[in-house]
Amino acid sequence: MAPDLRQPGVVHSVPEIERALAHIWADTVTHRGDGEHHVAARSSVLNLVVVAGRRETAESCAAIIEATAGRHPSRSLILSALDAEGRPGLDATIRTVSVAPAAGSAGTGAETIYVTVHGQTSHHLASIIVPLLVHDLPVALWWPRDPQFVSHRGDRLLPIADRLIVDGSSWSGDGLDRLREMARVVQGRRLVVADFALLRQARWREALASVYDLPDLRPHLRAIRSITVEFAAREEGDPAGLTNIVRPVYHVAWLASRLGMSVIEPMRTLTDGRRNATLRQGDHAVAVEWRPVCSDLGEGSTVRVEIVSRLAGAELVGDVAAGDCSVEVAVHDKGRERVRRTYLAPRLGDVDLLERALEDSASDSVAAEALAMAGRLVAAEPTPRGAVARNHRLTQEPGP
Amino acid sequence: MSPTRAPVPPVPARTARQLREATSSARRRHRADPDLNPLRKGLRLERVPDPCCFVLFGATGDLAHRKVIPAIYQLWRTNLLPAEFSLVAVARRPYTDEAFVAEIRASVEANSRVRPIDEGAWAELAKRITYQQLDFGGDAGFDRLSERLDALDEERGTAGNRLFYLATQPSQVTEIVHQLGRVGLDHELRGAGWRRVVIEKPFGRDYESARRLNHEVAKVFRESQVYRIDHYLGKETVRNLLVFRFGNGIFEPVWNRSYVDHVQITVAESLGVESRGAFYEETGASRDILQNHLLQLMTLVAMEPPSSFHADALRDQKLQVLRAITTPDTEHVRHDVVRGQYGPGWVEGAAAAGYREEPEVDPESETETYVAGRFTIDDWRWSGVPFYLRAGKRLPKRATEIAIQFKEVPLPLFRESTGDPAANVLAMRIQPDEGIMLRFAAKVPGLGLDVRTVNMDFDYGTSFAVDSPDAYETLILDALLGDASLFTRADEVEAAWAVVTPIIEGWAAMPAPRFPNYAAGAWGPEAADELLERDGRRWRRI
Repeated sequence: MAPDLRQPGVVHSVPEIERALAHIWADTVTHRGDGEHHVAARSSVLNLVVVAGRRETAESCAAIIEATAGRHPSRSLILSALDAEGRPGLDATIRTVSVAPAAGSAGTGAETIYVTVHGQTSHHLASIIVPLLVHDLPVALWWPRDPQFVSHRGDRLLPIADRLIVDGSSWSGDGLDRLREMARVVQGRRLVVADFALLRQARWREALASVYDLPDLRPHLRAIRSITVEFAAREEGDPAGLTNIVRPVYHVAWLASRLGMSVIEPMRTLTDGRRNATLRQGDHAVAVEWRPVCSDLGEGSTVRVEIVSRLAGAELVGDVAAGDCSVEVAVHDKGRERVRRTYLAPRLGDVDLLERALEDSASDSVAAEALAMAGRLVAAEPTPRGAVARNHRLTQEPGP
Repeated sequence: MSPTRAPVPPVPARTARQLREATSSARRRHRADPDLNPLRKGLRLERVPDPCCFVLFGATGDLAHRKVIPAIYQLWRTNLLPAEFSLVAVARRPYTDEAFVAEIRASVEANSRVRPIDEGAWAELAKRITYQQLDFGGDAGFDRLSERLDALDEERGTAGNRLFYLATQPSQVTEIVHQLGRVGLDHELRGAGWRRVVIEKPFGRDYESARRLNHEVAKVFRESQVYRIDHYLGKETVRNLLVFRFGNGIFEPVWNRSYVDHVQITVAESLGVESRGAFYEETGASRDILQNHLLQLMTLVAMEPPSSFHADALRDQKLQVLRAITTPDTEHVRHDVVRGQYGPGWVEGAAAAGYREEPEVDPESETETYVAGRFTIDDWRWSGVPFYLRAGKRLPKRATEIAIQFKEVPLPLFRESTGDPAANVLAMRIQPDEGIMLRFAAKVPGLGLDVRTVNMDFDYGTSFAVDSPDAYETLILDALLGDASLFTRADEVEAAWAVVTPIIEGWAAMPAPRFPNYAAGAWGPEAADELLERDGRRWRRI
């Protein structure tokens, strides 16, 4: 990313923002520190709208956006709220940058518009966003932290977007309320969801798929009897049920959706912190268990996935476990080891995740089906036993 | 062009062994196809090759240092290689593992497209590199190699999967393949891993030598194990050509003789032969570029839509095009194919020596450094549409481009216009500035009805601010994944030679050309311009 091309002062209305942008692009000669002049072309990729609550969230999102390569947004619109109670209005600054694919190659321009809203204006974000979108480019809506899908704001913002970017693993509590809401609100919409929680599991999915790559093991895909997911808990046994388990849920949801399973009994929580559910595959049941364990991995991270299948009396156990920057696969067929290998799986940073979220194909049916299945898996959690009610102690950010 | 077809080699009778292999290969393909694993859906970009050993012959050579090893480093750095990966470097010179690793580290630093080197990634890769000195002609070295690969399977978990990459002189290919077969390194026994061989171009010098080479390779490896690499096919824009044609619905209806006037394909280089004078003396532009790069680009433009994106479906369609190209006889070589050789001149502001003054070049050389030709394809889609192909060294600039020129409108309505709207052109730039341009007519703003030609230009940089992978990264990863789509099949190679060999033979039968016939820095000999002017056309100004 090249240094700023232009950084005008603060403006206070949408028309002023539009004028400032028009002024910048009317003058297509850009100025760099070395005194050279270069003609800039604006990239033609997508609009990225970030609904950041706090200013610090907005700043960290801006830093991530700035570091992205690949499908760098043509225009990023970052909205944050200063005080929801004050006088209505907005303050905006514009920053234009040059994005180059490689050192020495020609760059193209992109803009970031920072908007801080005040008072009642924070309830009408769509009225700011829509006029500022670059015409005829797709719109990605990045809603970090705890998005309010079922709200006035959700009703106004979601229809604007072609793609919704969230991080389910950062949601407060166990994350399942929001997962359930998200699965519900995207249903029937032409809205592609890119969840960092699901994107982080790409190498896990590769490893899980590899369990069945040997041709003679593939029939076991139709004979799965149990799926056990161990996840790192906040405290031993996760008695309070406060560990975000969106990622462990996605593992099961992805497997179930790919293998044509249906939900017989959705997830329920047991007194010892474990959770279970029952799926159906063909004419047999599949027992699912999520088990909290102590681990050095980050809270809510998947520690191990075990898939057991039985076919004509023969048991196949696929065991995929998190290693040090890797995922280890072991497959035992009738007690005999058939496969053992390691997949390098360095942790993806926020920049990698945003790049993937922006890059992924518009019709990622695998992710969509996994999300729908996740929604069904956690659809009707029975009355919490023990402390599950505490899940609802959500950390709410102030507006925008 | 002569109406005769390219000679189609007779289908040889299959031996019982070949039939057995074909049957079991088909069965194996069916069983091992990862697409049959529903968990693999949507994972294409995440797919990592099986644990494997990459055996690099010619590891001390220029190609290995400039292209192959930097590509492997880049794949490793981006986690696209398996943890259980091992690189065995094989060459004649004596090296210790440490000395070899130190030497290639310097090459990676100099040639990697992403710098500086990621020290952590390099350290991990370096642990997986070993060197083996080996005389390609001797049995003992291959026996040792075989034992070492078995040992690596145990130590590193490479599971018997081996890819042999022959980055060697073409003359050594047969010998190495024979030795690999002698020690059984070609055998894909049940559950014992896959074996593949990657062979660099040139694949023969003419039709007969290509057939002989294919025959020798086929004595050891099945065709499904052989990956003939033409790095042009791994280039991003070449691959995008397939996406452009078959991923967009609007072009197919006009992609035929009813709408296309002609096609021009240019591969221009501003460089001379550099330090490859001896090599170039033996090849020339027709063998170096026409037989492979140009004809491959032509097949991608002209092929029918494949039924799937699987390797053989794609290659079957390319083969159909090659077999439908009319083969020039001597008379038509004289009129429709032009050869040239550069003399002294100026390129990019610097004086350039003539070809005959280049090191290792015969001062009376008759080797062509430029070739241009008019080719036609005898099929329903392209009948009557000329394909003009040209390639040369020491041309004014480096540029590779495919241009589809459409027919003019049937009735010119804007006769009052002071400008002359040119026919529509769709141009795909392959290098250096990858992109796609559509030229069309537009009204000049104002009260009158003046028409001008304008360009609608798609540049990769404005939509994808990311550096494209090197062609070698793409192709090596594909070979490790067992995807042969971008590699050339034996019958394709032979069919391409069936087009080019009559040209080379026709030239040999003609009087010696008056070389040099174009100055370095010019767009080739005048005869190349006349070739198009005869048809009322001209080369695009690139």
